[in-house]
Amino acid sequence: MTYTILGRCARTGRLGIGIATFSITVGRYAHSIRSMVGVTVSQANANENNNQIALRLLDQGFGAQAALDHLKSNDAYHSYRQIGVIDRTGAAVGYTGKNVRGWCGEMVGENYVSTGNGLRGQHVVEAIAKAFLAEPDADLEHRLLMGIEAGRDAGGQGNATTHRTERSAALLVYSRDPYPDIDLRVDLHEKAVDELRRVYVEYKQYEDYYRARGEHPRGAPSQEAFMTTLRKAS
Amino acid sequence: MTFSLIGRCARTGRLGLGIATFSLAVGGRCEGVAANIGVCKTQAFPNRTNDPLGIKLLAQGYLPKRVMEMFAANDTEHSYRQIAIMDRDGRIEGHTGPGCRGWAGHKEGKDCIAFGNGLVGPQVLDGMIAGFLEKPDDALEYRLMRAIEGGRDAGGQGTPDAHRPERSAAIKVVDRRDYPDVDVRVDVHPTAVAELRRVLEEFKLYEEFYRGRDTDPSKAIPQDVFVKELEARRRVRA
Repeated sequence: MTYTILGRCARTGRLGIGIATFSITVGRYAHSIRSMVGVTVSQANANENNNQIALRLLDQGFGAQAALDHLKSNDAYHSYRQIGVIDRTGAAVGYTGKNVRGWCGEMVGENYVSTGNGLRGQHVVEAIAKAFLAEPDADLEHRLLMGIEAGRDAGGQGNATTHRTERSAALLVYSRDPYPDIDLRVDLHEKAVDELRRVYVEYKQYEDYYRARGEHPRGAPSQEAFMTTLRKAS
Repeated sequence: MTFSLIGRCARTGRLGLGIATFSLAVGGRCEGVAANIGVCKTQAFPNRTNDPLGIKLLAQGYLPKRVMEMFAANDTEHSYRQIAIMDRDGRIEGHTGPGCRGWAGHKEGKDCIAFGNGLVGPQVLDGMIAGFLEKPDDALEYRLMRAIEGGRDAGGQGTPDAHRPERSAAIKVVDRRDYPDVDVRVDVHPTAVAELRRVLEEFKLYEEFYRGRDTDPSKAIPQDVFVKELEARRRVRA
């Protein structure tokens, strides 16, 4: 049980992932982006080797489809996996093995993959894709989070009679740097998507301050002094 | 304000980082933990390019001491950084620039280096090292957890008259695989170290189940079933 949006910003080339699931600490599966190279996810019964293999293949110049084909041919259990890949051109592919449980599948288009398993139905991945595509000029992290929230609001995980809550969630976006622009997580929570929004709103207030503090430490205000300006502004 | 410990398990060669700080989402600034290579963490006023660069340099075979020299040459603001580096053999180098604020320093212990800034005093580093060394045969993630708790219990961040809470915390452990064995985080919380302990304990209950789904999914039970069994075991224990 998981739903995920992989996205690429056509305007900036930034790459990101938003993911929410019943499993705990899902962020450990989301180290799946290489700046200006690609983004991938392996879920359902995740083969944890896949992400790094896919990123190396994309880095060597393989396209998204070729990378996916390699992952499948390298894995005796690929029929239990669900995989998504976007390469640096925005070409996107998704794959759902026949042994993945519950309603499972994906919606794929240029620059995005909306994918999930153990979901209430097709409408969940459709809602995620629709929300991701709704504001193409907005920041990628905003679009990814809107996608995840739409997945939650469309019913999320479970089946016709039972709902399963999101217990962990993560949001990552890379720009040109070899480290993430945004890397936020909720590892263990009864409403992880709601909590991810809270973490996101808090973090966004500090984002520029943290960046400036590292790049220009001389005379940088202390964090307490910075927080005083936050309180004044609010 | 941050306190961190980089540690190595001498028995297995596993490497890891434990960190807690007043800033939010610190686990999202810990790229420098690389299996079979080493650990590099820059904090205080961090130069974010250091850690990915440090891992590349360690992978090429440079020693931590030499990596630190290259950091100094590559950064006009090196004196504002606090950096610790450990390679896969456990060689250690630390740097606390004079521009770091509050009480700041680093200290080596057996198989570890503790480093922090904006702390109540050097006892925080001693508390971390003591926590790390308390049960040397335990899994590295537990030793790192005890190190962070030791730092917290020794007073943590702040000044003699004003304590600052930990609002985010993280533990990362790598073994042979090129993704972390353990990667647990708390991003925004009033008592992030206590919450990290809760997340770690819960993760450890699921760890083998998640690994089994990876290595042979044809034998994996649904997570619903696993959770029910887990709850039943909890009730028996209670």
